[in-house]
Amino acid sequence: MRLPTDFSRARTGLLATALSASVLLFSCQEAGKDKAADTTAVDLNAPLTGTVTAELTDAPLVPKPLTYNTPKKVMVELEVIEKVMKISDDTEYTFWTFGGKVPGKFIRVRVGDLVDFTLKNAPDSKVVHNIDLHAVNGPGGGAEATNVAPGQSANFQFRVLQPGLFVYHCATGPVGMHIANGMYGLILVEPAEGLPKVDREFYLMQGDFYTKGKFEAQGLQPFDEEKAIKEQADYVLFNGRVRSTTGKNALQANVGENVRLFVGNGGPNLVSSFHAIGEIFDKVYMEGGSAVNHNVQTTLIPAGGSSVVEMSLQVPGVLNLVDHSIYRAFNKGAIAQIKVSGAENPAVFKRSK
Amino acid sequence: MENMKRFVWLILLLTASAGAFAQAGRAGAKPMHTVAKGVYEPFFRTAATLPVPVAAFRLDEYAVTNAEFIEFVKQNPAWRRSRVNRLFADKNYLLHWATDTTLAPANAPLLQAPVVSVSWFAAQAYAKWQGKRLPTVAEWELAGNGTPRHIRFHSLTDYILDWYKRPNPKVLPPVRSTYVNQYGLYDMHGLIWEWTFDFNSFVGSTDSRGNTTDEVQAFCAAGAVNVKDKTDYAGFMRYGYRGSLKGNFCIQNLGFRCAKSI
Repeated sequence: MRLPTDFSRARTGLLATALSASVLLFSCQEAGKDKAADTTAVDLNAPLTGTVTAELTDAPLVPKPLTYNTPKKVMVELEVIEKVMKISDDTEYTFWTFGGKVPGKFIRVRVGDLVDFTLKNAPDSKVVHNIDLHAVNGPGGGAEATNVAPGQSANFQFRVLQPGLFVYHCATGPVGMHIANGMYGLILVEPAEGLPKVDREFYLMQGDFYTKGKFEAQGLQPFDEEKAIKEQADYVLFNGRVRSTTGKNALQANVGENVRLFVGNGGPNLVSSFHAIGEIFDKVYMEGGSAVNHNVQTTLIPAGGSSVVEMSLQVPGVLNLVDHSIYRAFNKGAIAQIKVSGAENPAVFKRSK
Repeated sequence: MENMKRFVWLILLLTASAGAFAQAGRAGAKPMHTVAKGVYEPFFRTAATLPVPVAAFRLDEYAVTNAEFIEFVKQNPAWRRSRVNRLFADKNYLLHWATDTTLAPANAPLLQAPVVSVSWFAAQAYAKWQGKRLPTVAEWELAGNGTPRHIRFHSLTDYILDWYKRPNPKVLPPVRSTYVNQYGLYDMHGLIWEWTFDFNSFVGSTDSRGNTTDEVQAFCAAGAVNVKDKTDYAGFMRYGYRGSLKGNFCIQNLGFRCAKSI
């Protein structure tokens, strides 16, 4: 007797689900229409309103929000530098970098801008490099125009037509090796109206590393192509180094603040299950695009993709940011921290005596 | 009797080494070795690329040194740093030299190191002056594939990759400081990059993943489908490097050696 009742209840539930799904679908389609319009929203004939040089920052810093609201010509210059740096306290690695650090410099532009991009390759580089920016509509994302020999430079221009948080990386063969050595970074294209104001913004980028020696084996460790092909990472890191963003290097914020993280994943291989231990993401710009999801525990960040997450901080303490493929966090280095300072907030969280 | 034997040996040895010194000092007397005829398998396979037969040829035992190149510019003033035409050598031409014809005294060890920061045009002119020529890509690759006589890596590819992974040394080591291969050629890998006659004949020079229809035959996004050996990372690097060059480029780790037809 109870079964049919349950069944009809289930049916009502299904109907409700279907209805809400179709509403969702409808709104998605609406969003889809908006999206399709993005590339045509930029008036390519409108005159540019001046020239600015882009502010470039190393992680975890993010350039200041843009204050202009008409399209400009934006000058960007990045230099590729190959250098030995610490990947852990007692381990070194020959990194290939955009600007001397891993990840590369953060670039911030506005939709409609014309980017004048110069890529230099340091004179003492061993090999050739180029750049593929996912924010580019054009051959190879710029890679074809920027194959640069040591000591040389190349220039190209592109119009940013779509807002979002985009990865850039080197695309010189073997592409995998260039990325595995740290050649990636982020370019943010602000929508015309800018992003909503928050209290703090930070830049984090995940990457997987493959070394001849095991995790934290001492000394200068060379890249291991066999492990890379098998996707057996020794290190999974935020910002290119074990403990880059923990302890005294933790990101700093206060109770009551809104924090926005620009998170990229350079790969080369692994997809990130990005998670904040002890917080819920209020907003997630999924895959760095325009669709916003709310109240998210863990968000996927594809290799060669990104995510923008925002959270309001209610209680003090240390928030661990991890790749929730959890062995990576505990055994391969994939932990960053936000130190939240401020008064206890027992209405939200109280430890029982 | 025993002493006599030793004496004769000593004399012979001295004569031989004196001869070697005299030879090294004379232009054109640089040792060359024969690379036997062979077949060169192009790195990128397309319908249009076939294995290339390579005739036997002679190749310099080691790269052209700063000392050798100084002789060249002394006798060919048009190739001095202060006079060279920018069309044929960019502003980095012989940047590590103190003057038109000398290295700084502190850089004396570099005399026997390969000359770098020389353009393709300069390398061509040098080769011509020597009555030689630059090797083709096919010849260079055939010679470069020669089996090392002694090497502490388990494969040549490993050895090359190890070199790529290390930053450029502050002071470039002298020629004949790495390894010698089956043909008697030194430093084919592990010291510098080398110019080839037809370095720019490969069209897929820009984005390694290709974009044009032609290149799609040779590449696929983020990895070449038709590469001879996808794990030949060293090969990728050489082709990428050559593809980024222009004839007037002068680069800190790019030198050359000369070849001769038989």
